[in-house]
Amino acid sequence: MNSGEIKAWVDLLAHAEKMKGRHLRELFKAEENRFEMLSFVAKDFLLDLSKQRITKETLGKLTALAEQQDLHGWIEKLFTGEQVNVSEGRSALHTALRLPKENELQVNGQMVTTDVHASLEKMESLVRQVQQGQWRGFDGRPIRSIVNIGVGGSNLGPLMACDALEQYTPLESKLLDVHFVSSMDGSELEKLLPWLEPATTLFIIASKTFTTVDTLANANTAREWLLKASGKPVELINQHHFIAATGNVEQAEKWGVPEKNQLLFWDWVGGRYSLWSVIGLPIALKVGMDNFRDILKGAHAMDVHFRETSFDKNLPVLLGLVGVWNINFLNIHAHTILPYDGRLAHLPSYLQQLEMESNGKSVNGKGERLNYHTCPVLWGEVGSNAQHAFYQLLHQGTELVMCDFITAAVRYEGEGEELQLQHQLSLANCLAQSRLLALGDESASDLSYQHYDGNQPSTTVMLDELTPETFGGLIALYEHKVFVQSVIWEINPFDQWGVEKGKKVASSLLAEFKSDVNEHLDSSTKGLIQRVQAQRGQHES
Amino acid sequence: MKVNVYGAGLSAWVAAACLAKVGNNVAICEMSATERKELNKISTVRDEPNLLQQLEQQIDSGRLVRHLQRALPEAEIHWLAFQPEQQNKAEGVMDRLCQADQDGVLVVNQCNFAVGATLDLQERLGEKGCVVYIPDNLQEGSAIQDFSHPKRIILGIDQDEALVKARALLRPFSTGLDALQLMNSREAEFTKFAITGMLAIRLGYVNELANLADQLEVDISVVQEGMGADARIGAHYLSPGCGFGGQNFHAYVSKFSGIFEQQRQQQQSLLKAVVGANEVQKELLFRKLWQHYNGDLQGKVVAIWGCSFKPGTASIDNAPSIKIINALIAQGVQVNLHDPEAMPNLKKYYTNEGLIRYFKTPMEAVEGADALLLVTEWPLYWSPDYAQLAEVMKERLIIDGRNVFDKQMLKQHAFAYCGVGR
Repeated sequence: MNSGEIKAWVDLLAHAEKMKGRHLRELFKAEENRFEMLSFVAKDFLLDLSKQRITKETLGKLTALAEQQDLHGWIEKLFTGEQVNVSEGRSALHTALRLPKENELQVNGQMVTTDVHASLEKMESLVRQVQQGQWRGFDGRPIRSIVNIGVGGSNLGPLMACDALEQYTPLESKLLDVHFVSSMDGSELEKLLPWLEPATTLFIIASKTFTTVDTLANANTAREWLLKASGKPVELINQHHFIAATGNVEQAEKWGVPEKNQLLFWDWVGGRYSLWSVIGLPIALKVGMDNFRDILKGAHAMDVHFRETSFDKNLPVLLGLVGVWNINFLNIHAHTILPYDGRLAHLPSYLQQLEMESNGKSVNGKGERLNYHTCPVLWGEVGSNAQHAFYQLLHQGTELVMCDFITAAVRYEGEGEELQLQHQLSLANCLAQSRLLALGDESASDLSYQHYDGNQPSTTVMLDELTPETFGGLIALYEHKVFVQSVIWEINPFDQWGVEKGKKVASSLLAEFKSDVNEHLDSSTKGLIQRVQAQRGQHES
Repeated sequence: MKVNVYGAGLSAWVAAACLAKVGNNVAICEMSATERKELNKISTVRDEPNLLQQLEQQIDSGRLVRHLQRALPEAEIHWLAFQPEQQNKAEGVMDRLCQADQDGVLVVNQCNFAVGATLDLQERLGEKGCVVYIPDNLQEGSAIQDFSHPKRIILGIDQDEALVKARALLRPFSTGLDALQLMNSREAEFTKFAITGMLAIRLGYVNELANLADQLEVDISVVQEGMGADARIGAHYLSPGCGFGGQNFHAYVSKFSGIFEQQRQQQQSLLKAVVGANEVQKELLFRKLWQHYNGDLQGKVVAIWGCSFKPGTASIDNAPSIKIINALIAQGVQVNLHDPEAMPNLKKYYTNEGLIRYFKTPMEAVEGADALLLVTEWPLYWSPDYAQLAEVMKERLIIDGRNVFDKQMLKQHAFAYCGVGR
């Protein structure tokens, strides 16, 4: 879109000029019932937008923009399996992964729901086998350790979920320990392997393409470790110690994972949208299949809410639109994710990928350059820890930053009193920080370095409680928020061409370390390679 | 004397039978679901040699009654034989005795609750009488004999006035013994746990040695003889095998290791390690089979001889055979079973399991089998017709969980043989 030609956009620009001068402190004074007006509840979720620099009028103009951009139409396209991923000619049907069995969805003659549930059932039988101690390692002992090898979407989602929902580990999974390794350089694997017993360790190779070099490098190291420890033939090791969660049967087969150990998903599942698929195997192993199905159920409930609720009450739509407001109309280009709940420690890195890989783009779906900002820089940390790290900048720095505070109202029910107090302490800090960021410090101080300007906008997402269901809903909330923004910006959020090129350059550089450096390289790259070669030579001599 | 026996486990039935036999008037208060069953339908009763017969005789004589009402029959002696997890029932009995219009009762606690449990019961009973503790030393398969002709009786007693009545009650079973061994109840409770734990540790150690012997290709049975000859060690409980089971032994050991954990604030105790290792040991024969066939067991036929947790009983509680059968089924193995006593229990345990077949004779079970696993050493398995075995089996592979077969003989018939540590 040429934003200047869009009426709703131009309207918002004018509105923003008025709003820019208004401090949140002033808005709260002017509207005593701001919270009632600007907070929204859907089932177990409360979305508080009253600390955003908006009024009801702003929301009205933003939803007009959404109408203008045909958000309704796009949501239908998303859910019905149209090829919303234009550059790769695919649909993006992560919502189909959480459809209940009885909801039939047919795309291009394919019964998607049937496939999805068949794949879930294969996963379930495998999970049961491991939980019952009947998946055996090379010496016949039951598997006790699971190592998920994957990176990006094949790592962040399952890792986050396992950590967030650990308290829901069922009895039959208590004996299992689940680990994650992702780093290309083998650092994590090297640290982990000495603690594991080869005969009772099962590796999940999680890779949609099964060509991801990071993952295959780790998988090869793991297999070498097993071969050495067991003295068994490679076929036996492949058979009993490796499971593939992948979209590429041929590559998995070629690497050696036998058919019965392959769990499949489809090209219409994006990597960063894949925790709902068999990529969620470590989650199911850790928290059990029933809880995994509850995660899907919670996400599905959010899907239904997103698809059916009018924009003015629609949580993902509102969350997305307020982001657009901050980015495009208040010129805020930094966004921090602050869960006040240690269980959600991995949420910031998960959202970093979800948001920045989806919407970190500067051309529209047709390949035309955009004349407006898109995805901001996004980072985060468990809020209470971040208070001791980067809050200084939020409170007194020169950058405008929008914040998402995420917390659960209730925790540790029926557990120790001290633990419940810790939760309240955390909640109090969460509310204190968002309050101070919004309102600043009114008390006049002569000392300018003690002054808090305030007016940093924030959203609070409050779950009633963190359960498998609300966890699923929370992630779906952000998925759809990202989609909403992509529609406004006319971006294809489901490709990631910016990631592809780097992989190719790396593989071509790999050879340079062994031979003489190519003269055509830039002087920096050349210089760095030569330094490595020189240091290596010294160590060897 | 008038005696009430409480409980529905093996020790309750045995106490009831034996106490009635020597002339006491006994009422057994089962206080459990068994109350509605005929005696011959209660597996604990049915599976123990001679027990059913003894009970029926005593009931016919009129000295033993099964008491089914809630109100307790009047008695001067109350014999508690509950399961380790039924402490609340024992406490309930104490509370009801307190309310009864009777003083000077003797309560004999034969339950393995915990160290100090007898004193707790005494406190509940108050002035109404005395509680003493007699450890239950019954072994499944010889329980009647163990009760009637004990080699020794430990009596845990905290009040002298209880001694006369206790002695009188035990007299029929303690003639020929030098004396009762008297100690206080806490010491007696501890002794019971200590003995059981010691045996478990010994077995656990022997099994560990056997597994090591396997790897070093040393014959454990030779080592076993050498160890047994040392007077400090002795020959008992030195046979390696594929894990210990049974209702009582397992329950005691787990309970005792639990006490250790509590007292030592969850540090790993020696006994807990032994219990854990025993569970692993129960799958030993499966692992040997797995290794022999390189993890490819789908569609194989495997015969198992002996499924009860030990010879002489029909009980399959915590038996290694169950773990092995489960593991085999999970791999898609066709399992052929034989056991002289445990078949009805197995059929009840595995209802509708299509991969299991039951056979009337050991030889029928091995026909066409890819392996024979000997799990429980019933005497009828010890000397099979080796030539016929070689002929009817599809693959000549024997995995001997109790080291009973003659290795040389099997070699002559070209069998592949794996024992435990030999």
